[in-house]
Amino acid sequence: MTERNERIVLRVDGLVKRYAGADRNVFDGISFEVPRGKVLVIVGPSGSGKSTLLRAVAGLEPIQGGTIALDGEVIETGRPGTERQGRAKRSSALRTKIGMVFQSYDLFPNHTVLGNVTLAPILVQKRDKAEVEAEALRLLERVGLADRADAKPHELSGGQRQRVAICRALIEHPQLLLLDEITAALDPEMVHEVLDVVLELADQGQTMLIVTHEMQFARAIADRIIMIEGGTIVEESDDPDAFFTHPHTERAREFLRTFEFTRHRHDHGA
Amino acid sequence: MQGAEILLELGVFPRLLQGLWVTVWIAAVSVGLSIPVGLVAGWLMTVRNPVVRAVMRVYLDFIRIMPQLALLFIAYYGLARAWNWNVDATGACVLVFVLWGGAELGDLVRGALLSIPQVQAETAYMLGMTSWQSFSRVILPQTLRRLLPASVNLATRIVKTTSLAVLLGVVEVIKVGQQIIDANRFQYPTGTLWVYGVIFLMYFIVCWPLSLAARALEKRWAND
Repeated sequence: MTERNERIVLRVDGLVKRYAGADRNVFDGISFEVPRGKVLVIVGPSGSGKSTLLRAVAGLEPIQGGTIALDGEVIETGRPGTERQGRAKRSSALRTKIGMVFQSYDLFPNHTVLGNVTLAPILVQKRDKAEVEAEALRLLERVGLADRADAKPHELSGGQRQRVAICRALIEHPQLLLLDEITAALDPEMVHEVLDVVLELADQGQTMLIVTHEMQFARAIADRIIMIEGGTIVEESDDPDAFFTHPHTERAREFLRTFEFTRHRHDHGA
Repeated sequence: MQGAEILLELGVFPRLLQGLWVTVWIAAVSVGLSIPVGLVAGWLMTVRNPVVRAVMRVYLDFIRIMPQLALLFIAYYGLARAWNWNVDATGACVLVFVLWGGAELGDLVRGALLSIPQVQAETAYMLGMTSWQSFSRVILPQTLRRLLPASVNLATRIVKTTSLAVLLGVVEVIKVGQQIIDANRFQYPTGTLWVYGVIFLMYFIVCWPLSLAARALEKRWAND
């Protein structure tokens, strides 16, 4: 392992993805990397495959070409003809290294908040129950939900549920955290409480790969931002402010304009 | 109250209770065995392999299309004819009710499994759980809760359908009732209604607690 590799948590190289029965690729050789402690944000129009990209990294979708490497070790090599295969056959230990929070419905409804957070570390990582519970309560405290530890998911608001889901991913100490449009299903007033937690994680050096439609948030949190469309990266930047104020490509300009609202007032004055 | 005295006749109640016991025994064993069969069948109905799914489809359709009585005759008379395999009448009943209950419950399990959002299994996968941990700790508990109302309904249907066992000569509660009526035809010509009335109550007493328990659990699990 070279020293350069040690700095890179995730490296995606020449990733090719095709859906079963489709006549063209969703991705045609996408490459990017996420250095340790950095946040990469992926933006792009609906249907551009942002979530699919995240799911491929997670091992939830088979890939048909290219490689995915975690901590310098190749964990996935794409092969053509695998379109109909299910989830990747990754070891439990490997899967705990990548945490993920989904858009919604991912808390286990049959467990309490505390049970949701502690289930996997006890079951999968074989950690001590008391130690895990203590850590879970610290995490819940950090996101302001320690007093809801015994509640069931249905008793929580959408924003609270997403904060619990973040704790549940964090307790396994993942090398990489994947966030797939985690506020897309929330009422607007709950978006902030969730994204504030994510911003705090970024400050603490959590490596993250984020797909989001919240452009203000993307601009605030990203160390690097890429825009994908039509199966390729159309624009990438290490300077989020520059990306949002002076995009290089016409396509990125068009995309960013869709988030702006202007009323063209007519002057009816006599 | 004409004819009601038949119920006070010595031995009538104990004999009815004996008959009820046969009914409850057949139903309980059938329901008990249908649960594992149904869980496995339901799981097989959701696997990726199209051959397995097709086989399960044929099984379910065959059981649904055939009247239970025809299945009972096949099991009781047909098996002996074809392979010289003699099952006794009670055994034939249990066999048919398990095949039937397993198929119907399997279809309920299939529906319940498919109603659990995909993201639940995906989350379990991301947290590193094995397929078995994911199934036993996350998917199955939710499935069972969704299954409950319809499967209690199925259990009561099985209890009621055990009355077909009469036609194979099993002396269960209805048969006992007929025997009592026949034996007392001259002494209590109007006793029929009373005997069947008691049998009705007995079925009710067996099935009603099932419904009550199901309703109570459903309420407790409403939002989990």
